[in-house]
Amino acid sequence: MAHKVQPAIISCGFCEHASKRSDVNMAELVNEAVEDCITKANIDWKDIDAVVNGNMPAFEGANMPELWMGDHMASKNKPLLRVTTGGTTGGSVTIAGYYSVASGLYDMVLCIGFEQQSCGDTTVGLASVALGEFSIFSDLGYTIERMRSNMGSGAAIGVASYQAMNYMRRSRATEEDLARVVVQNRRNAAKNWWTHLKMPTITIEDVLDTPYISFPLRFGMVCPASDGACAMLITTEEKAKQIADIPVYINGVASYSNESAIIGIDCAGAGQTDPCEQLGAMKSAEVAYGQAGISFPNKEIDYAEVYSPFPNQELMWVERIGLFEENQAPEAYRNGVTALNGELPVNCSGGVNSTNAIGASAMERPAEAALQIMGKAGNQVPKTVHTALGHGWGGSINLITHVVMSDEPQRKWR
Amino acid sequence: MVRAEFDFWVGIVMDKFYDGLQNKQFIGSKCSKCQRVFLPPRNRCGDCFAKAEEFVELPENGVLKNFTVSNYNVTERRARKAKEPIMVGLIQIDGADTGIIAPIINISPDSLKEGMKVKVVWAKNVKGHPNDIAGFEPVGGG
Amino acid sequence: MKMERVGIVGYCQLKPELDMMMSPYEAIYSAVRGALDSAGLKRKDITTVVTCTNDYYDGKTISNCFKVEAGGAYMKDETKVEMDGAHAAAYGQYRILSGNHKLAMIYGFSMPSCYLYEPVRILELDPTFDRTISLINSYTAGGMQMRAYMKAFGVSEEEIAKVAVQGYKNSAKNPLALPDVKKSDISVQDVLNSEVLSSPLRELMYPIPCDGATAMILAPERQSLKITDTPVWITGMGQCQETYYLGDRDLSKSVSMEKAAEKAYKMAGISDPKSEIDVAELFGHTSCEELILAEAAKLAENGKGATLLDSGSALNPSGGAMSAFTPCACGLTRIVEAAKQLRGEADEYQVSGAKKAIASGQVGFCAQNSILFVLEGGG
Repeated sequence: MAHKVQPAIISCGFCEHASKRSDVNMAELVNEAVEDCITKANIDWKDIDAVVNGNMPAFEGANMPELWMGDHMASKNKPLLRVTTGGTTGGSVTIAGYYSVASGLYDMVLCIGFEQQSCGDTTVGLASVALGEFSIFSDLGYTIERMRSNMGSGAAIGVASYQAMNYMRRSRATEEDLARVVVQNRRNAAKNWWTHLKMPTITIEDVLDTPYISFPLRFGMVCPASDGACAMLITTEEKAKQIADIPVYINGVASYSNESAIIGIDCAGAGQTDPCEQLGAMKSAEVAYGQAGISFPNKEIDYAEVYSPFPNQELMWVERIGLFEENQAPEAYRNGVTALNGELPVNCSGGVNSTNAIGASAMERPAEAALQIMGKAGNQVPKTVHTALGHGWGGSINLITHVVMSDEPQRKWR
Repeated sequence: MVRAEFDFWVGIVMDKFYDGLQNKQFIGSKCSKCQRVFLPPRNRCGDCFAKAEEFVELPENGVLKNFTVSNYNVTERRARKAKEPIMVGLIQIDGADTGIIAPIINISPDSLKEGMKVKVVWAKNVKGHPNDIAGFEPVGGG
Repeated sequence: MKMERVGIVGYCQLKPELDMMMSPYEAIYSAVRGALDSAGLKRKDITTVVTCTNDYYDGKTISNCFKVEAGGAYMKDETKVEMDGAHAAAYGQYRILSGNHKLAMIYGFSMPSCYLYEPVRILELDPTFDRTISLINSYTAGGMQMRAYMKAFGVSEEEIAKVAVQGYKNSAKNPLALPDVKKSDISVQDVLNSEVLSSPLRELMYPIPCDGATAMILAPERQSLKITDTPVWITGMGQCQETYYLGDRDLSKSVSMEKAAEKAYKMAGISDPKSEIDVAELFGHTSCEELILAEAAKLAENGKGATLLDSGSALNPSGGAMSAFTPCACGLTRIVEAAKQLRGEADEYQVSGAKKAIASGQVGFCAQNSILFVLEGGG
């Protein structure tokens, strides 16, 4: 696929994540990340041609908040695009930034993902959302009981526990395997400056001591709800070479959507009954690797950031996106392959399991992967990273984003 | 730290603004670069992308820049008519470079005019809340 | 900056209704299917889908998540723009221009009959102040904008009422206009006698939110020529977001549209929009805003927008937002209407000899974020 323009990441910025960033409002929170990003890139904010942003809209109860936050996003009198796709929002924003530059229309694009989950009144913010849905369901003749049972399975933990059961059945992974993933993530997070749950001394026993939320997922295995923001600058190859020491070229992007899992249209059930099958993720990975000229992802990828609020998902995703053979991930984790000094480090940033500011999470994955290539990550892996990926999932585990990046532009393989 | 209605953290500069309201005082913020004064305050100037965290005390008087008289309650769906027409004003406080949206009171809708001098009327009990501004009334009783 | 042409090869606007007897999924499916049929394509030909819905206007968190199948996006590169349909079209255009995609399906949808539009707009306000005092909505913002415009340029209420009348008369000729707004015998006096929403804005100067869905297909130049003999080309696009604070803005003008238009015209190589543009399909939230946008797009001098009713570019021959105002789809519908004019498909409201057209979309109060497309016809 011939690109006329090769987009590259030159800088990534974060704000400090916490469960309650009560010291700032949403605009100021975003501003911290934007400022961090622009300062690190050492550019003038006026050089930014366009801004792409997104967050999970229903969580704060603010619709299109970028309208009032625009001035804090360095976007006054500039083109601004809002992209939201639930959990994958950050990834979709990154991809939109990629396409903005790849289209040749903009040279320097600022991407922003954010979430301040401690904000908002759920009854006011979410009621308008939920009530709308109730009205149409009752119009269609659904009983309140049926709605309630379906809503439960639609919530993240609901879908995730089904998924965990399916994965454990397939791979014979144990609860201990799940806990091991959590321990690795949270210990990594302790070494990364902006993360939320920092637990440098956590052990597998500590995780297994916590109560179940929804079998087999325990309280200690579930991601936190964080306030935070992430910003990223994407520019053309020519400009990137002038600005950054090590530009990170985005060589493959894909976001293939599957049917919604378990909960379906109008709560009528869905075709995708096995949420750990993940055709969308497999297809996205295949397409993105194809664009980047990667034939053997398990050999060619040096570092991976996958979106895993729940530990079973980390095991599943690394298999589905071709980093490990099917059902081999638990073994790899046991052998330390994915640890900081392993052959294929995964989620050294601490992952979503340690920090989850929904709208920012899927952007923090490619951002952290890019920082590993640049050698500027908070928890830098000892080996040199040439090719890395950032992955995201959202919706009803049916929306996927996949971003493959490298320190060499794509034409190397052409 | 104050939480506005809808449970939003109000942030660095709006916190000062609400503290000010509690003392029946307008507090704006000034851009460190272009020196524009914002009321309500914001911590970034859109034009300069510079910090605006220098606080400025502002007077109670201002000019009515624009207004509209609505027959419908703003929060409600259209079918819900307001009992009394709601007068919405865009007021530029003397010394500020931007306008603040607030209700206009103690005047009949027909006598409203752009460029009118207005003055704030504080609520009976001020408590650091947006509703501390009961409204603006014309200077000299309109 | 000259850009490669992107072709509009197919489209479909669902007949809008005040209360559509369809589920959201049926409506989206019908529009997407209709667009594919109009281009003689199949679902497998689509490579990417850009959804335009809004979680709040849709009453659903992650509103694109269940619309994957209905929008033809199953196992396709899918994403969602949560703005106006025209912004989604711009993102579709980026995707085509990048060279990664050969066929982009863009659709916009909302259903204000189920999920009310007006009250939800309060959630767009700054929650630290404006939202708490609850004084800004579509009516009051529109009212202040109209007052600022009338005062700045000495425009009378009658002139703005004339624009509304034109909108209703044009809608009467448009088969896809809402039946309720097809008023061929409305007079200026009727508009001026209608109820005041928020002074000086009157009921008949404000479009009625209605249910609808619009879909459009974009393709690169080479593919477009293979798909159809009469593609419509996007030759220019500009977008801009101005500041949010109404107190900072001169509401009698639209900075966002001025900057967007400047960019779009430059891209399309248009130096004199007044004489070069034959048709303008502009999405204005009120009749007054239509004039402000037309002036910002340099079709008329500031304050002289109403002269477009008599001469110059045809302003909203389809009736504009007045004909059918579907949030999230309205801007996309404007592009489709402009494309119809350029293809000569707009039977009763066809502007003869239309060669170049503009179409706009917007989000935010008083057109805070505007986008403008320049379209050209003729293979």
